Amino acid sequence: MPPQILDTILEGRRSQPNQLIEVLHDVQENYGYILREAIESVSQGLGVPLIEVYRVASFYKAFKLNPSGKHVLTMCTGTACHVRGSHLLLDYAISQLGVKPGEVTPDGLFSIEQVNCLGACALGPIVAENGTYHHHMTPAKLRKLIETLSRQEAEDVQHAQTQ
Amino acid sequence: MLQYVNVNIDGATIHAPRGTSVLDAAIEYGICIPHLCHVPFLSDIGACRLCIVEHVVNGRSEVTTSCTLNVEEGMVIRTNTDKIRRLRRNLAELLVAQAPNSRAIQDIALRCGVKEVRYPFRNEDCVLCGRCVRVCAEIWQARAIGFVGRGKDRHVDYPFGIRPDFCKQCGSCVQICPMTIPPCDGPMKPGEEYLCGKCESQLMDETPGSCAWCKLGEGFGCGRYVGI
Amino acid sequence: MPRLNSYRELEHLRQRLREQRQNITTTVMVCGGTGCRTSNSQAVIDAVRDELSSQGLDDSVRLCVTGCHGFCEQGPVIIIEPGNIFYCHVSPEDAFEIVYQTVMKGEVIERLLYEDPVSGERFKTEAEIPFYKAQDRRILSQNRLVDPCSIEDYIVAGGYSALPKVLNGIAPEEIISEIKSAGLRGRGGGGFPTGRKWGECMDAPSDEKYVICNADEGDPGAYMDRSVLEGNPHLVLEGMMVGARAVGASKGYIYVRNEYPLAVKNSRIAVEQAREVGLLGDNILGTSFSFDVDIARGGGAFVCGESTALMASIEGKVGEPRPKDVHTVVDGLYHKPTTLNNVETWANVPSIILNGSSWFASKGTKGSKGTKILALTGRIKNTGLVEVAMGTSIREVVFDIGGGAANGNSIKAVQTGGPSGGCLPLGKFDLAVDFDVLSEAGSMVGSGGMVVMDEETCMVDVAKYFLTFLQDESCGKCVPCRLGIDRMLEIITDIAEGRGRMEQLDLLEELGDTISQTALCGLGKTAPNPVLSTLRYFRPEYEAHIKEKKCPAGVCKALITYWIDPDKCTGCGVCISGCVHGAITGEKKQPHVIDAQLCQKCGICRSECKFDAVQVF
Repeated sequence: MPPQILDTILEGRRSQPNQLIEVLHDVQENYGYILREAIESVSQGLGVPLIEVYRVASFYKAFKLNPSGKHVLTMCTGTACHVRGSHLLLDYAISQLGVKPGEVTPDGLFSIEQVNCLGACALGPIVAENGTYHHHMTPAKLRKLIETLSRQEAEDVQHAQTQ
Repeated sequence: MLQYVNVNIDGATIHAPRGTSVLDAAIEYGICIPHLCHVPFLSDIGACRLCIVEHVVNGRSEVTTSCTLNVEEGMVIRTNTDKIRRLRRNLAELLVAQAPNSRAIQDIALRCGVKEVRYPFRNEDCVLCGRCVRVCAEIWQARAIGFVGRGKDRHVDYPFGIRPDFCKQCGSCVQICPMTIPPCDGPMKPGEEYLCGKCESQLMDETPGSCAWCKLGEGFGCGRYVGI
Repeated sequence: MPRLNSYRELEHLRQRLREQRQNITTTVMVCGGTGCRTSNSQAVIDAVRDELSSQGLDDSVRLCVTGCHGFCEQGPVIIIEPGNIFYCHVSPEDAFEIVYQTVMKGEVIERLLYEDPVSGERFKTEAEIPFYKAQDRRILSQNRLVDPCSIEDYIVAGGYSALPKVLNGIAPEEIISEIKSAGLRGRGGGGFPTGRKWGECMDAPSDEKYVICNADEGDPGAYMDRSVLEGNPHLVLEGMMVGARAVGASKGYIYVRNEYPLAVKNSRIAVEQAREVGLLGDNILGTSFSFDVDIARGGGAFVCGESTALMASIEGKVGEPRPKDVHTVVDGLYHKPTTLNNVETWANVPSIILNGSSWFASKGTKGSKGTKILALTGRIKNTGLVEVAMGTSIREVVFDIGGGAANGNSIKAVQTGGPSGGCLPLGKFDLAVDFDVLSEAGSMVGSGGMVVMDEETCMVDVAKYFLTFLQDESCGKCVPCRLGIDRMLEIITDIAEGRGRMEQLDLLEELGDTISQTALCGLGKTAPNPVLSTLRYFRPEYEAHIKEKKCPAGVCKALITYWIDPDKCTGCGVCISGCVHGAITGEKKQPHVIDAQLCQKCGICRSECKFDAVQVF
């Protein structure tokens, strides 16, 4: 893990315990998850006890302690999406991909996240894929989305192999 | 220089130093308010909610935890109303249904008047009282353990789940934990958890609320036993 | 832009900016809010911009990328002034026609106009559309006028007039007294009188004080704060400036939840712009008032909407609430006096200062003054953000504005106030949107979320949904919330899966009562509300689950069966290829059959069948 990025993140924030959450956000954005070394460096850099950094990283859903898949399917399970059947979408994704929220498929391609409301309620049910929002989703549309992404990945692999 | 205030607890006027909690003042005077996460030499967090009392203010009574409420001049507190006893009993019922395999938890349940448990028993070995975390942080300043996770997933753990080298191996966390005392009849098998009720004979039911230096308090390290 | 050193310089700037825009004949407002962006409005924005450029209209026509208009299902939305022409479902390919026909020739494009789902009528202007007509958009209407990333737009529209007014010889006590007379109550859910809160903070002795804007908006189904903060961040900032002046604070925070990246971005830009012109910083407008604001991001925790948890989060700690025996207006952020208010509460402040408390109080009821923004969602025709005067009945909101049931189903209930609120049945729809009225009925106005439910919504499932949500979001510190919600969920799951017993209903009520009285914070205290309100008004549904082991709404998986109606089935085979469990069999053009043993009730066949042949009983 390149130490320079971590130095940049900690710059101007050293010995300021109240910057912990912003720092962890930056670590999450840069590395995709909060590595153990990051927790140790942040603890030293900000002057926050190790157990406290670990505690904050494990408390907030935004911080992942394990790497995510290449395609993160974020299923919104807010009330408006729920009454339009978002639980069916979640059940389908779990059974189709064979992983529970927070886990990654063995090929490292997909992971499922559950979020309690993205704020686009009028267009629900919403499934976000790596930040792109898909609206009015149904189990059938979700099946197509996963199939399309899988097919694209297979094509990319083939393309790379023939290079 | 200690400043003293007068507070009215259950009709008795109590003279207590400013800055003490209602719970400490009551225990000092022999009024028993059941508690679990309170330990006299550690900070109070108000997590177990067993020490709830009615704080009468402007004719209204608010239910609040006595460990986090500091004494003020003229305060009126009721520790043993029917409402408080019912609420406390329901809370203790939740605790004992969660972790019946500890004599301390069973003692607390009995002290709070639990007769039947209406939930399926589980067999957890931690009630998240936080005594271990606080003793590690506040007395030993090691901070080798802490609460991690959230909600149902909240549990006590080392950083990354591995005991760090700065753990002083003092054993205080084990000593102060209420779960380390098995019930009199020994550890229960999963699926055979129950409330034995044998300690009831030790309870002085005729004078509820007054401290009897009851044997039960010894189990969970009641304020009178741990000492101030 | 140069720094403004006095009130007069601000007014000169306003004048200058207005003069610069005198040659603008037409304004094209394209919505760039989160909802419309999901429907690809960025492509529309780019297409319109390119088209205007290529037609050489850059000097006479202004393209304004606005915040949310609140009618997200109709997006992408474009409004053209003058004329108040409202276009919806705009695609990038329409850009040429819009510029050529409407902007240049003043002609309306019929097919882009809003079509009323009930009457089929097409409406030309925004003001005529029934959804908007029945509203009272004191705050939301301002979203049309400004590009959230432009402080110039805000100033031209009249913004930053309240701040100079309060800096110009009005004592803090007078500001607070005005807010008190207006009767403004917290719009985040608590409904606490804002003037009183400010007064208590002002009285608390301290050299350092804070103001905080709570933009955590954790209630699922609520996105009012998102729209206001995304679409008009300067309005919120100005409100905070007035508040800071009143209570004596020199530092403020806007705490935005992590799931609102656009709101985070736009508020950061707004703060930067305000700092640049000197409206934030030292000696604002040449007075002794100094105030600065920082944006703090949430980490994905609903509990951080609770004031003490929010403050802990700003301090870099876990969002665990602490007991509030001493209020946060005295002992708050970093143990200093802190005034925390919701986005919408702050957004109401500038207009109260400018138009006076009587103007504000002229709408609303005796106990609840002003307007409230509601997020109307669920099983109705028109969903979106709705701003109405307090005192409007639920019936008006759901039927007049919401257009009644979608899909021809009958409406059964409305859930208000998010996970802290409750469900009210159709029979109670004449109740007014009013803090005290709804609380008495067992629900609450809360932050403004209003989810409409119909006969296909199971109320036991709704209770189960909210308990699952709260269990997930609970911080886990105190026994009643952590263990109590868990046990309530255990009981409700028993009921939903056909193992319920009648005495469990009494236990639910008793446990709910205990939790509401003993929990440490608001999350725990209000957690039983969805359960208790559904028990109160929809007990027959619970009893059906227990006594008859049936789910009348057809939702609870353990109690329903999927089957194919042979009269409707055309034997097309779409469901067979869609079923991932191999549960459907049938010949081509023959009615298909679902094997109930294999069926997992995942819903794919139902969503794929074009003949509505898959039924649930």
